[in-house]
Amino acid sequence: MSEPTVLYVEDNEYNRKIVRQLLSRSPYRLIEAVDGETGIELAQQQLPDLILMDVQLPRMSGLDAMQVLKADTRTSHIPIIVITSYALSGDREKAMKAGASGYLAKPYSPRELLALIRQYLPMP
Amino acid sequence: MQVLSRSALGWLVSGVARIRASVHTKLLFAFLIITLLFITMAVVSLLMLVNATQQTRLLDQAHERVSWAQQSQYALARQMHFTASALLSKDEAAIERILRENNRFNETLAKLEAAEGAEQRLLIDQIRSSQDDAMGVMADMANAIRDGKIGDITGELMQREERLDDQIATRMGLLVQAEQSRMARLRAGVDAANRRSLILTTAFAVSAVLLAWLCGFVISWSFILPVRQAEVFLGDVAAGNFGRNIEVPNRDEFGALADQMNHMSHELQRFDEAQHRAAADLTRLNEQLALASKAKSEFLANMSHELRTPMNAILGFSEMMLDGLYGEVPAEFKEPLSDVQLNGRQLLRLINDVLDLSKIEAGRMELALDEYSVSDVVNTVRTSLRSIAAEKGLQFTAHVPDDLPVAYGDSGRLTQCLMNLAGNALKFTRKGHVDIAVELAADQLIYRVSDTGIGIAREELTNVFGAFRQVDTTITREFGGTGLGLSIAKKFVEMLGGRIWAESEVGKGSTFSFSVPLRVSEPKP
Repeated sequence: MSEPTVLYVEDNEYNRKIVRQLLSRSPYRLIEAVDGETGIELAQQQLPDLILMDVQLPRMSGLDAMQVLKADTRTSHIPIIVITSYALSGDREKAMKAGASGYLAKPYSPRELLALIRQYLPMP
Repeated sequence: MQVLSRSALGWLVSGVARIRASVHTKLLFAFLIITLLFITMAVVSLLMLVNATQQTRLLDQAHERVSWAQQSQYALARQMHFTASALLSKDEAAIERILRENNRFNETLAKLEAAEGAEQRLLIDQIRSSQDDAMGVMADMANAIRDGKIGDITGELMQREERLDDQIATRMGLLVQAEQSRMARLRAGVDAANRRSLILTTAFAVSAVLLAWLCGFVISWSFILPVRQAEVFLGDVAAGNFGRNIEVPNRDEFGALADQMNHMSHELQRFDEAQHRAAADLTRLNEQLALASKAKSEFLANMSHELRTPMNAILGFSEMMLDGLYGEVPAEFKEPLSDVQLNGRQLLRLINDVLDLSKIEAGRMELALDEYSVSDVVNTVRTSLRSIAAEKGLQFTAHVPDDLPVAYGDSGRLTQCLMNLAGNALKFTRKGHVDIAVELAADQLIYRVSDTGIGIAREELTNVFGAFRQVDTTITREFGGTGLGLSIAKKFVEMLGGRIWAESEVGKGSTFSFSVPLRVSEPKP
C-alpha cells in the first residue's frame, strides 16, 4: 500500500481511459468512479491521496460531491483537483471557493495533468 | 355655468354660438349693433332738441300775442280815459290823443289778427267794428264839441260811446282771456312734451346700455363657454382619459377647435390602445425571450460540455501517442498524428470562439473582476506565443513600464484579447517583428500590438472587428484562423468599458490597440 492512490470521478469512458493509460506506467494507483455518489463512497472507503473531480456528472454534480467530502472529517484533508468543460470566467473562482486545491479546464493535455498530479503527489 | 345654460340667456348664448360665422365677424357685428344704438340715441336726442326749440318759439309767439292783446286793452283803456277827459275838458287836443291811442290799438289788433286763427279773427272783427262805431261816435262827439253843442247830444253820444266801450272792453277781455288760456294750454303741452322726451331719452339710454351689455354678455359667453369646456376636456385628456368628446354648440373657430380636439382625443385613444397592445405583446415576447434565452444558455453550457469531452479524448490520445506512451511511434505516423493534433486544436479554438461569441451575444458572459498585474498578462501571452514567433523567425518583444500600478479587471479576458491580437500579428507577419507595448494614459491602460506584416487596406480597416471578417478568403487559406478573434476581443474590451481600434498600411504593417480603464468599474446588475 505504498503507491499513492488517485481517485478519478468522471462519467466519460474515454476520458477515464486516457487517465488510466497515462497513469499505467506511473507509480500511482488509479481508482475510478462514474458519478458523484459512487465517488463519495469510494473516497470514504479507500481514502485516496488525491481526487480528480469532473464537474459535470450525472445524479450529483462534482461541486456538490466535493462539498460532501470536504464536510466529512475522514476525507476533508484530501486535495481535490476540479476538472470542468465549461471554462467560464468565474468557474475557477467557484471551484476554489468550494474547497478545490487545483483547477483544470477540458480539454486538458495529459502531459499537464500528469505534471499537476506530480505536484500534489511527489514521486515516492 | 349650468345655471346659465338652462336660462333664457343661455339659450341666447348657444344661439349666438350656433351662428355659422367667424369670431371676427360676430365681434364686428356686435360692435356694429352697439355703435348703431348710440347713433340712434344721438339722433333721437337731436330730434327732441329741435322739437323743444320749436315749442319754445310757439310759446314765445303766444306770449307775444298775449302781450299784444294786453297792449290793445291798455290802449283801449287810455282811449276811453282820454275820451272821458275830452268830454270833461272839451279840449280838442284830447281828440288827437284819442286818435293816437286808437291808432296804437288798431296796430296791435292788426298784429294780433295776422298772428291769429279764424276763431279769434271773428272776435277781432267784432272788436274792430265796435271800435269803428266807437270812433264814429267819437267823431260825432268831436264835431259836437267843436260846434259847441254840448248838452243833450253829448249825453246821448256819451251813452252810446259808453255802451260801445263796454262792448269793446268785454270783447277785448275775452280776447285776452282766450290768448292767456291758449298760452296756458301751450305751456302745458310743452311741459308734457318735455317730460315725455326726458322719459323717452332716459328709457332709450337705459335700453341702449342694457342692449349693449346683453350683446357683450351673450357674445363673450358664447366664447367663454367653449373655452371653459375645452379647459375641463383638456384636463381630462391630460389625466389620461382619452376617447371622450367635447360638445360645443359653436360653429365658429371654437367649433373647429372642438372638432380638432375630438379628433386628437380619438387619435390619442387609438395610440393608447395600440401602445397597450404593443406593451402586452412586448411583455409576452419578453417572457418568451427570457425562456428562449434560458434555453439558449442551457444549450450553450451543454454544447460546451458535449463538444469538449470528445475533444479531450482526441487531443489526449494523440498527445499520448506522440509522447510515446504506447511505445515508439513509427516515423511515418508522426506527421499525420501531428496533423490530427493541429487540426484538433484548431477545431477547439473555433469551438471556444463560437461559444464565447454566443455567450456574449446572449448576454450570458460574466466578467471575473479582480486585481491583476499587467506584466503577468503580457508575460502569459509572450510565453504562449514565443514558440510560434521562434518557428517563423520573428522578433517578438514586449515593453511594459515597471512602475504600472496594480490593475483591476478580468485578467483572463484581457489575456484572451491580447492573445488574439498578438496571435493575429504573428500569423500575418512573414518577416520582421511583432511588439507588445502597454502605457498608462490618465486612468486608461492602452495595450498596443504592432507588426511588420501584410497590413490592411484603409477601406477594410473598419470591417476587421466584425465576425468572420478576414480580409479575403485566400488569406484564411494561407494564414488560418477562425475570423472571430477580433470580434471577440472587441466585445470583451467593450464589456470592460474600453474601446479597440486599428491603424495599418498595406505592405508595411498594422498596429492594433485597445484601451481599458486601469480599474474597471463593476457592471451594473
